[in-house]
Amino acid sequence: MGIKDKLKTGVQRNLNQKYIRRLLDIIAKKPVLFAYGSTFSSLSDKYLNIFTIKSLRNAYTDNNHPVGYGSLFLPYEMFHALGITPFLPEVMAGFTAGLGLATQTLKEASSNWYSQDLCTFHRSASGAVELDVFPKPDFVITTNLACDAAQKSFYIHSVKYNIEKNFYLIDVPYEYSKESILYLTGQIKNICMDISSKSGIKLATSKFKEVISLSNEFRKWAIKVNNLRKTLTNYPPYYNGLNFILPFHGLAGTREAVILYNQMYKELKKYLDKEEKEKSGKNKSLKRILWLHLKPYYKNEIFNILERENCRVVFEEINYIYWPELDPERPFESLAKKMLSHFLAGRIDNRINVILKAARDYKIDGAILFSHWGCRQSNGGARIIKDSLNKLNIPTLVLDGDCVDQNNSSQGQVKTRLQGFVEILNS
Amino acid sequence: MLHDSKSRDDLDILKNKINDISAFFEKTLFSTDKRPLVGWFCTYTPEELIVAGGFIPVRIFGRKKIIKSESYFPINFCPYIKSSWESLLSGADNLKAVIFTNSCDGMRRFFDTANKYLKDTPSYLLDVPHLRGVDSIDFFANNLNNMKRFIENLNGKKISNKEIKNAIILINKKRKLLKKYSQISTKLPELISISSYFKVMELSMISAPEIFTDDLERYIKFIREADTENMTNLQPNYENTPGIMIIGNFITEEKLWGMLSTMNLKLASDDLCISSRYFEKQIELGDDSDFLNLTAERYLNKPQCMRMADLGLKLKEIENNIIKNNIEGVIFISLKFCDTMLYSFPLLKQKLNDLGIPALYLEIEYNNFSEGQLKTRVQAFLEML
Ligand code: SF4
Ligand code: SF4
Repeated sequence: MGIKDKLKTGVQRNLNQKYIRRLLDIIAKKPVLFAYGSTFSSLSDKYLNIFTIKSLRNAYTDNNHPVGYGSLFLPYEMFHALGITPFLPEVMAGFTAGLGLATQTLKEASSNWYSQDLCTFHRSASGAVELDVFPKPDFVITTNLACDAAQKSFYIHSVKYNIEKNFYLIDVPYEYSKESILYLTGQIKNICMDISSKSGIKLATSKFKEVISLSNEFRKWAIKVNNLRKTLTNYPPYYNGLNFILPFHGLAGTREAVILYNQMYKELKKYLDKEEKEKSGKNKSLKRILWLHLKPYYKNEIFNILERENCRVVFEEINYIYWPELDPERPFESLAKKMLSHFLAGRIDNRINVILKAARDYKIDGAILFSHWGCRQSNGGARIIKDSLNKLNIPTLVLDGDCVDQNNSSQGQVKTRLQGFVEILNS
Repeated sequence: MLHDSKSRDDLDILKNKINDISAFFEKTLFSTDKRPLVGWFCTYTPEELIVAGGFIPVRIFGRKKIIKSESYFPINFCPYIKSSWESLLSGADNLKAVIFTNSCDGMRRFFDTANKYLKDTPSYLLDVPHLRGVDSIDFFANNLNNMKRFIENLNGKKISNKEIKNAIILINKKRKLLKKYSQISTKLPELISISSYFKVMELSMISAPEIFTDDLERYIKFIREADTENMTNLQPNYENTPGIMIIGNFITEEKLWGMLSTMNLKLASDDLCISSRYFEKQIELGDDSDFLNLTAERYLNKPQCMRMADLGLKLKEIENNIIKNNIEGVIFISLKFCDTMLYSFPLLKQKLNDLGIPALYLEIEYNNFSEGQLKTRVQAFLEML
């Protein structure tokens, strides 16, 4: 049994904080972490996993820094500037799926009155909170971007830990406007000040500037990666752009994110150079796919099927750099603008624009919208997305499934639908 | 006295009369008011601005069976939205414009859909903050100003401060009367059926406010006079009945209210967006003439919908009502797939457990009511109490 499988079965058998803490302590030690990292076949995967382990270890075991639960689309630069260790329950819900724990966590959520119609990212995370598997937070910070779920489930977490006073919602306005920037800047600033005074950690301007600069640096490499991918067709084995959710959000503003995206760039560049040299990218019949929304995080066949059918996901909307460069002199305002620029904020047109731009930039032949059960914000726009891509003669598959709950997805049906879609692409 | 058969007969006659809503609200129902209609969905929409612009605000109830709508939205999507979309697509409501709010993810996508596929009917989305502090009120007031401009553009007419003030006075009066009516209904469960109560609520949201308030005023006067004749002491069926509170979202199922009306259920308090969350709290007109700010203040501080950030405050509101109205059981009814409602239940359930109040959890479809199983569950719940 390899180290990854050992980890998996270990956690499955001992689903409790003490065990997880011990495990993270062992694995985060340098030689072990190095050995663990070397089990990954690509450099980007290696760094992703090393940094994830480090970040989790900090959240579980570092008592010197407060822990902040954060929902996915927050500007994590504020966490790093404040010295708060971020912990992202939604991302962790993806891990519960990958580690085969979701059946337990979802069951726990149901017995705590979470309806089965709710998004499983939140249900599974809530189940884990109820089971006491996650580290205890000092602060809970959330936002209405991109959906209603986080602000509600995170509030429940704050009650569970008796820290309602340390619950913050960053309320992102609907339109991008002068007034919205002002309103949002004020909120972010007030929250930072409040957390700083409660935690006793001074919010140093120099630290904030440094974090903002690192975030810009990460952004620069991420854009370079995205640009490379416009022509790249051959990827390192097991590379999947949907795996980098944690660093893309939670590590924005850290050196780790810079290293990871820099390494990713170098690695992909090598592939591209090789491709150009050998003209191996000229796989004429390859179908280029744009992926919309997320993917299942449990073991599944989707990407293998696509690979076998000579289809490749060449871009994922979630990796689109939607925000302008941040201004280190105006950190709060920059973060407000970052949030307001998100394509899932406001009208669906913002998302459609990104999708259509990606369709052109990445010369896609088809799009797959993974219709994750219970995600109203995304699935509610499926018809408009489909119609908009249709106008460009790009077929779209709305693939029903569940990112976290294996039992709410039929592998057989997914396969049939994918094959049907490939036939359309090839016709 | 209670078994006096003459009194019982009189009571029955009176009861029939009071529950004949179409007779009391004839003018409302057959209104000749020809002002154009502007549709709205969510109780965070200030009708005041629609009235001030010279329109009749009409809440969209979406009574249409969902057919075409299925191809626009996923299966697991708010049935109220789907059925409202069906009715917008059919053009049945003859609306000059529609005002949406960003109340939930579903509504945001509904607005996008209307924007894309309903080109002839102008639509507007009012951004309602989830927070309630001073900054949020200012921000909301600015959004109200944008909404005002949208309404002005509909008929090319500027809305004056005076028109806003008059509209505030009118809608304040409507809210005040509705509250009074709600209090009377709670006191007289035998005389005013649950069906009648919600019918009046519905009329209040879809009718010309001037005519409706006149009708409601007369209706309340009639009930009051009956009350002074002491008829209302005769409520044998409800003497030892426990008070129930209904908590829910857009629950407008006539058949459900009809069913509950036959079940000896004493509705002692409600927290729904078609009743208390709609009529509670006035716009306080004082010396301040910044009417948009006053309006913003009222709407953000009215009894909260579950969509707002502070669920703790919502629970406190519910707890206060439970204590004030001697509630002994709570019926929680949600339309299916309404995330904000569904997420409120885990905490609400905890709170009710702490208070020792039993709760019944129901999820229903919209316009697709099947009485059988539901009746058995409610019956069992009432018996348990
Ligand atoms: S999948 Fe959809 S509903 Fe779930 S957390 Fe993400 S945006 Fe929200
Ligand atoms: S009932 Fe719920 S889901 Fe439907 S529109 Fe209202 S808040 Fe949204």
